[in-house]
Amino acid sequence: MSPDMMVSIVDDDPDIRDSLAMLLQSEGIPTREFASAEDFLANGLADHSGCVLADIRMPGMDGFALLGMIAARQLTIPVIMMTGHGDVPMAVSAMKQGASDFIQKPIDAEALLTLVRMALSQSDDPAPSPAPDTDPLLLERLSRLTEREREVFELLVDGDPNKVVAFKLSISPRTVEIHRARVMEKFGLRNVAELVRVGLSLRTQPRHGGTSRLS
Amino acid sequence: MGPLTSYIDKFAEESPLRGVLERAGVGIKLVSLDGTILDSNEKFAEMVGRTRAEIAGESVWALSHSDDRAAEQAMIERLRDGEIGSYTIEKRHLRADGRSFWTRVTSSLVRDPVSALPYCVAIVEDVDARVRAQLDLEEREIRLRTIFETAPDSIIVIDESGTILNFSRSAEVLFGYDAGEVLGQNASVLMPAPYRDGHDGYIRRYLATGERRIIGIGRIVVGQRRDGSVFPMELAVGEMPLRGRHLFTGFIRDVSERRDTEKRLQDLQTELLHVGRVSAMAQLASALAHEVNQPLTAIGNYLQAARRFMAVSDVAPGDRVVEALDKAFAQTERAGQVVRTMRAFVKKGDGARRPEVLNTAIEEACALAMAGLADLGVRLSLDLAHGLPDVLIDKVPVQQVVVNLVRNAAEAMRDSERRELKIRDWLTANKRVAVEICDTGPGLAPEVSAQLFQPFVTTKASGMGMGLSICRSIVNSHGGSIRAEALAEGGTRFIFDLPVVEEASE
Repeated sequence: MSPDMMVSIVDDDPDIRDSLAMLLQSEGIPTREFASAEDFLANGLADHSGCVLADIRMPGMDGFALLGMIAARQLTIPVIMMTGHGDVPMAVSAMKQGASDFIQKPIDAEALLTLVRMALSQSDDPAPSPAPDTDPLLLERLSRLTEREREVFELLVDGDPNKVVAFKLSISPRTVEIHRARVMEKFGLRNVAELVRVGLSLRTQPRHGGTSRLS
Repeated sequence: MGPLTSYIDKFAEESPLRGVLERAGVGIKLVSLDGTILDSNEKFAEMVGRTRAEIAGESVWALSHSDDRAAEQAMIERLRDGEIGSYTIEKRHLRADGRSFWTRVTSSLVRDPVSALPYCVAIVEDVDARVRAQLDLEEREIRLRTIFETAPDSIIVIDESGTILNFSRSAEVLFGYDAGEVLGQNASVLMPAPYRDGHDGYIRRYLATGERRIIGIGRIVVGQRRDGSVFPMELAVGEMPLRGRHLFTGFIRDVSERRDTEKRLQDLQTELLHVGRVSAMAQLASALAHEVNQPLTAIGNYLQAARRFMAVSDVAPGDRVVEALDKAFAQTERAGQVVRTMRAFVKKGDGARRPEVLNTAIEEACALAMAGLADLGVRLSLDLAHGLPDVLIDKVPVQQVVVNLVRNAAEAMRDSERRELKIRDWLTANKRVAVEICDTGPGLAPEVSAQLFQPFVTTKASGMGMGLSICRSIVNSHGGSIRAEALAEGGTRFIFDLPVVEEASE
């Protein structure tokens, strides 16, 4: 990690910005703060190096729009999205729109620091890194899912809300919840961000010559 | 016509009464046994609007309403056969203009003293006004009776001593009594205690004070069927002053009769109200969650930062740790502010407060609550104080509190041997009305009673635990308080109080 790499915190809540800055600084990670996505796009891009930690829910331009603007400018800036709502469709759409990761408030410091370090190292090496081979452990866990669990997992990673998944599979939303809980249990996942991350990483595999893992 | 005319001539010439009959104030006609009018006096001619000459020789039926012919014909036959000497009937005579009028006809058989031929002397009185009045009366009576017997609402008439004078057909169906069983009885047999004992007093109070509590107002009260079961009913009372006496007519609609649809509707409404509250709560909770999540996130960040600063021992961490902890503490203040704002927001939801008669509100709420719980076999007794001042309340939410407490109590007693629910109210020393609801259920475990009014605390298998916390919010928002205690003899009592209206308390 280059010494000049820093985390740009984009959040309309000054207390959140300040506390995140202090948390990152406690690990020696330098930060800059922006009160809005507009502010970041106007003033933060010129000498940008590092990653962005942005709230999804902001007045004016929200986190999704920020992702879109960054993609439109063909910038490869890793963006970690923060949200108070840990629902799967939101995580899926954030990741599909180019977020490098997704974290839930209140924030677990260890998880955040891990994500930030990963993001900074990606940013450090702008050449698109070949996707790492899928963890054989994940493949082994995938094989332990039942047919129905795989279907549910698949649709959830498509970004369908529980109710839509339930409708498509002609089962009750409650049953979807149960299957989702099983999937998370079998993969040893703790939250939806992890579920989506695993799901998307499994889905990218066919491009690298493997068999379709999750589709 | 020849032989007939001779009768008249004879009568005319020979009867010493002729002059009297001619000028009499009643109509008189002489009729042969075959129904021919032999002669009449001026009065009769005037009554039927013809001259005596026109009348003579005319058939008696030509001057009579055809509907009355059969009856009179039979009488004439009996007269002719010697069965009777005279008859009196009321019949309609026809005037020349075709209109009919009621008459009273007394006809006697006489024999011509010379020829010994028999004929009738008929005295005709005009009784049209009386008969029509009587017929009107009968018709009105029939109409009223029909209404009385076919009205879907039950109608009960009582006098000022409470004695039942009329008991309509649908009242028989509703209460399960035959009219014969209750006519002459006191109306209190139709209601459960405590109204049963109070009913005569209600009438006396009204007669003494003229203060209308139900007359012309109507409200929901509790009735009792012959089999002892109780049901909610809507009662409207009308008053009939009658020659110095007072009769009272009760119009009763069985509210539970509409049960099939309405009870379900009520349950649904209660449920909806509940769902409405829960959904409002859910929205509130969601907003609250976001607002509280922010400071919580900040607190978490500051504390985790502080911990990290402390772990790095090679630099002096002191200042930054203190800074992080101060900031974390400041965030708790922010979270507290959020909660206070929410509270203030919830308080704003006050409905319109009006002076209300609390007893009425309680009775209605009980009737509604019990309608849904008829099958639980709970004995409800109300001991409501007389002459309480009005309370200043938003009636529906306060009734919701009563419904809630009554339902809770009834459900708590589901498995109890004694299922008695007592509701009492009284004026407290500090000018408030207190309401007490006692049940004979299993009582309260001390650990439950301490947190009973907290949201999400429930002893019910399927409860949300919102009921009592909402009750408390409602009572508190009226400036009252609510508490629950286990009773020494078993069961639980809930007491809440409400402020009275100052003006009315004088």
